[in-house]
Amino acid sequence: MITDAHVGRSYPPTEPYVVSREKIAEFADALGDDNPAYRGSSPVAPPTFAAVLAARAWGNLFGDPELDMKLAQTIHGDQRFEWTRQLRAGDSVTATLSIDKVRARGNTAFISVSVALDAAGEAVCHAISTLVHTWPEEATA
Amino acid sequence: MSDVQTPEVGQELPALTLTFTRADLVRYAGASGDFNPIHWSDRAAAKLNLDSVIAHGMLTMGRALRIVTDWVGDPERVVSYGVRFAKPVPVPDDEYGVDVHVTAKVKAVADGRATIAIDARLGETKVLGSATAEVRLD
Repeated sequence: MITDAHVGRSYPPTEPYVVSREKIAEFADALGDDNPAYRGSSPVAPPTFAAVLAARAWGNLFGDPELDMKLAQTIHGDQRFEWTRQLRAGDSVTATLSIDKVRARGNTAFISVSVALDAAGEAVCHAISTLVHTWPEEATA
Repeated sequence: MSDVQTPEVGQELPALTLTFTRADLVRYAGASGDFNPIHWSDRAAAKLNLDSVIAHGMLTMGRALRIVTDWVGDPERVVSYGVRFAKPVPVPDDEYGVDVHVTAKVKAVADGRATIAIDARLGETKVLGSATAEVRLD
């Protein structure tokens, strides 16, 4: 189970994800946002598209057997982004996750993680999240 | 008439009403890759004691930011954005969906940046807590 002993743990960067015009338009459509900045030949991504790339790194948590975490038992508590610039079509982005803080309360853990998004080595966004994970009662008895 | 370049503390941004339908959740699931079944299966939602499927927190967060990006025009101006997912947004399986009302106010202006406090409500219930975005004004 994840505990404060795991604070400081980080994982290798994800495989690069290349942001495409088509994906940006699809994501803007899903937000119902017709801002012209998200369309045309050299669009920027809607700011919260960063979550899609950060979530790729969250997979590290669920894949780490020591942490015993399952996506279906995880709730998104809060989310913050700090951008150096917005993502653009053509960016090849890696995501690197670190565990910053773990607070346990009964069978629930509040896990603060940060994900650094880099486009070809350039830091573009920091995505900071609290994930709330609950284990079944019997697991903590 | 408001001027984005020189906003005043306390100034309100034009309000926004966001409608969420089941189709919107399916579209966001596909576009974001977040296929958590609580966003499309009433059966999965019931297991977590939810009355209905709920919107992705990131969908509510992403759509609410539009109050800021519509106001500044260029989304490149957004330098930070944070929210707490205070309450879920249950989305009924009907043709009307559910409305979330978004308002926003300039909270601070300093060093070429404006801090915007965003309020998103379903009826009287705040669905986002401490929602704040920061934009460049240059």
